[in-house]
Amino acid sequence: MNTLITVSLLGIAAMLSEVFRFKKFIQTVFIAAVTGATGLAVLDWGTSYSYFRFMVLFDDYALAFSILFLVLTLIWLLLSQEYFCNENTRADYFALISFSLAGAIILSSFSDLSMFFIGIEILSVSAYVLAGSNRSDIRSAEAALKYFLPGAFSTGFLLFGMALIYGATGSFNLSNISLWIIANHSNLPVMVNAGVVFLITGLLFKIAAMPFHNWAPDVYDGSPTPVTAYMSTIIKAASFAAFYRLFVSCFSIMADWWTPLLVIAAAITMIGGNITAVYQNNLKRMLAYSSIAHSGYLLLAVAAINQLSKPAMLFYLAAYSVASLGMFTLVNRMGNEQQLDKLKGFAHDNPFYAALITLLTLSMAGIPPLAGFFGKYYVFLSSIRSDLIWPVIVAVIASLIGVYYYFRIVYNMYSKPAASAHVVSLSGFDKSAILITALLTLLLGIAPALIADII
Amino acid sequence: MILLLIPLFPLFGFLINGWLNKSMPKGLVGWVASLSVLASFGISVYLFIQLLSGANEFQFTVFDWMAAGSFQVDFGFMVDRLTAIMLLVVTGVGFLIHVYSIGYMNDDEDYPRFMAYMNLFVFFMLLLVLGDNFIMMFAGWEGVGLCSYLLIGFWFKNDNYNEAANKAFIMNRIGDLGFLLGLFLIYQTFGSFNFKEVMGMASTYPRYDSTITAITLLLFVGAMGKSAQIPLYTWLPDAMAGPTPVSALIHAATMVTAGVYMVVRSNVLYALAPFSSEFVAVIGLATALFAATIGLKQNDIKKVLAYSTVSQLGYMFVAAGVGAYSTAIFHLVTHAFFKALLFLCSGSVIHAMYGEQDIRNMGGLKKYLPITHLTFLIGTLAISGVPVFAGFFSKDEILAMTYSHSFLMFTLLAFGSVITAVYMFRLYWLTFYGEFRGTKHQLEHLHESPKVMTVPLMVLAVLSAVGGFIGLPEIFHAPHFLYNFLEPVAAGAGHHVSHTFEYVLIFTSIVVLAIIIYSTRNYYVVKGTLPESDAEEKGIARILSRKYFVDELYAMLFRKPLDVISGLGYRFVELGIITKTVDGIQEGINTAANGLRYLQTGRAGSYLFIMVIGFLALMIYAIIL
Repeated sequence: MNTLITVSLLGIAAMLSEVFRFKKFIQTVFIAAVTGATGLAVLDWGTSYSYFRFMVLFDDYALAFSILFLVLTLIWLLLSQEYFCNENTRADYFALISFSLAGAIILSSFSDLSMFFIGIEILSVSAYVLAGSNRSDIRSAEAALKYFLPGAFSTGFLLFGMALIYGATGSFNLSNISLWIIANHSNLPVMVNAGVVFLITGLLFKIAAMPFHNWAPDVYDGSPTPVTAYMSTIIKAASFAAFYRLFVSCFSIMADWWTPLLVIAAAITMIGGNITAVYQNNLKRMLAYSSIAHSGYLLLAVAAINQLSKPAMLFYLAAYSVASLGMFTLVNRMGNEQQLDKLKGFAHDNPFYAALITLLTLSMAGIPPLAGFFGKYYVFLSSIRSDLIWPVIVAVIASLIGVYYYFRIVYNMYSKPAASAHVVSLSGFDKSAILITALLTLLLGIAPALIADII
Repeated sequence: MILLLIPLFPLFGFLINGWLNKSMPKGLVGWVASLSVLASFGISVYLFIQLLSGANEFQFTVFDWMAAGSFQVDFGFMVDRLTAIMLLVVTGVGFLIHVYSIGYMNDDEDYPRFMAYMNLFVFFMLLLVLGDNFIMMFAGWEGVGLCSYLLIGFWFKNDNYNEAANKAFIMNRIGDLGFLLGLFLIYQTFGSFNFKEVMGMASTYPRYDSTITAITLLLFVGAMGKSAQIPLYTWLPDAMAGPTPVSALIHAATMVTAGVYMVVRSNVLYALAPFSSEFVAVIGLATALFAATIGLKQNDIKKVLAYSTVSQLGYMFVAAGVGAYSTAIFHLVTHAFFKALLFLCSGSVIHAMYGEQDIRNMGGLKKYLPITHLTFLIGTLAISGVPVFAGFFSKDEILAMTYSHSFLMFTLLAFGSVITAVYMFRLYWLTFYGEFRGTKHQLEHLHESPKVMTVPLMVLAVLSAVGGFIGLPEIFHAPHFLYNFLEPVAAGAGHHVSHTFEYVLIFTSIVVLAIIIYSTRNYYVVKGTLPESDAEEKGIARILSRKYFVDELYAMLFRKPLDVISGLGYRFVELGIITKTVDGIQEGINTAANGLRYLQTGRAGSYLFIMVIGFLALMIYAIIL
């Protein structure tokens, strides 16, 4: 709770900094507050308090995800230094980021459907604005619109679903809903089933799973690269935290019924995402499709819904997000020239950082002993525990396709540059971001139990 | 907790030198590398003293390494008495060789890379001996293999060296396969990899149990690769392509003894499998003799020492095979002292001779390299088993233990040590006595090595001279320190030999050695006989100097048939079947990707449309179907 309060106050402070003229220090304040909030979350570890008349519940699940969001934000800050350069907009951007973080924390801690909705909205509305934050680029504006329209549409689905659930059970509280469903399990009104399908539709949109993913490539491509990195890591992680929390608290008793829906979505997302990524020549777009494909694997963990899926999801999200942030650092530095072949010669000029990026790429492809491998491993393990054998086979095939395009990145980095080509060069912040993400990737791969065993 | 520091120091040394590489001040590189090993040595000594004053063992689990269902491996360290001895050898001798390398490698342009690799090697070697389970040991085992590969091919611009590195790696892979299979079988049988758990459970098994026999045989296949035993020994002589400190550290004192360590570590299992033990002893014996005879006719100073190492490793396996585990470790320790010393001396000679390694072009070096000469002499006396020097006690003990096991083995092994003395003194006389046979240029520049190289030589010489006193035979009525120290871990030898036999053995060996020294001196120094050039060799001499044509035999038996098979496989299976299938799949994916691309129209309206279709599909599937 303290974490949520700190982050919300931080957002307000960022807005006020414009008025009270301490804009210069807002970055320092931001770092201090986010670090402090992380510390507060760590201090609360092991407790499980409920607030606002059972609206939110800060259990270890909520705290673990809050810590993940906050730590990822700190790493993210390294690669988005230039994004905050502009004196006129930096206070707004910091405020938006803080509010979306508050939304993310609510999404990991809600224990009431209304809080769930509030969290989704705080997170999404900030994200719509962030997507359009580069006012000089028409593609950014287009991204904001393309995000907002389907986003509003999907919010409709979520609301409709919540209304149906409320209609059937007479409560917004997750545990009341769960109790009601357990009590009436043998004779559920179709209203509940329909409500669940509406909720699934809305959530599949938020995590960009197929066939509700179409907005994602355009939005990821058009948004400023730091925002893309933020969306594909922290916002995605928050959406998954909410998805799992909602379904495990309310609907786990009827899992047999909705698991096939998620499994089908997961299968087409993994295969479709990876296959489409193969054809991309633009690195940013390739990562967008890769991000969609990763949603598919994560969806398997949600579908499996057993004791193993919670740590599997947390670990997968941590491993994937860390590697993504490193990769997006590179994309960010490529500026507007994001073609894969612009990477040629990169390894020659930056052998060390090329090696680290190779490591990140291999982690995303799921090669042992890196973090990404163990992420997939845990997800597969929990799926197999729930007898989802064929989806795991599909997932393995999809990862093999993934290896193909991930290796194209490595291949291009280690190719000789064209004669007069301009080779990407990294700033000090970029280097530290890549170094930190690579070290974390290696550490989580060598000692996966560090994260996998905590919840 | 302190256990964790032991491998961490060299790891940091590796990271610092590997990272900063050439941007590091040159003077600092060597000291960072050496002091990191010295720090580990300090901790090892501390732990050793703790063990001496009664502590039984130390244990520290860093984290759960892997967990899958009931399968669990900890990243755990353990120091018991066996490990403590190994730690002292690895870090102690390792430190001396690091210091020596400062002088030896200083002029090399890739000096920091060399030091970084050496530190990395020490790190993996420490992992190997510190691990409290077989998987940790295997991780270290593979790690030292990697470092060995990197260091043999250190001068990678020379293709022959790269081939030697490849050969070492591939030969070791064959052994590793056996090791791995052994590990799988261990897990299947005992459900654990932890040394203590495995040994505890194994002790309830009957002797002659077939599973344990299989496990021990498979593990020994691994040892054959790593410790260069017949038939996987051919890589070690070629490994001399690496810089000389590498030969001393990796291919004499530490890595190649990992196989012996592994067998002793699993002594509970071997004790239950008499057939495997007998097999270990026979292979060890065959290797000891075989390699010693090859050593007789080699003319490269390092090659002689390499075959000698192969042969001495055979002695250790004989000891382990007859159940004298503490004796095997005893010889491992003394061998580490005198073989490291001999290699470093040869390095000093090579250094003085501007890279010349052929003893036919040396001679008379005694007066130019006084310290090297003296220390080399001590090493030679030690390895030949001259009384009071280290090798005498350990080799004597092996012979005594073998005698009570089998008379035939004893005779052959004793014959082996006669050959050892012959080739070592041949090497010694040819190198340091007689006329100088090198070029004029070499003669003018002959010089003793700098202090940074000679001091480690002197320390090792002292150790080679007195190191044997940690294991005095019974007739001296002194307690056998090593045997008592290791008793809780390695059962040691059950059988004792009569005192009369001990006296006879000592007396005979003195007489025989005296004859050998006299006659080799007579032959090589007084008469001045030189080994004939390669073309003039005939008969047995030719067979020996060409190493029994084993390399050629392997090429004919394995490589050529494999080449033919892989050629056929490439043409028909690869190009005909696999390539077509793979290309087909790739084309399929590309087509599909191209098709899916068109779903991405870029119009928000069509996205909403697809969403609605998707929602309806879900609804229909969920509610109506």
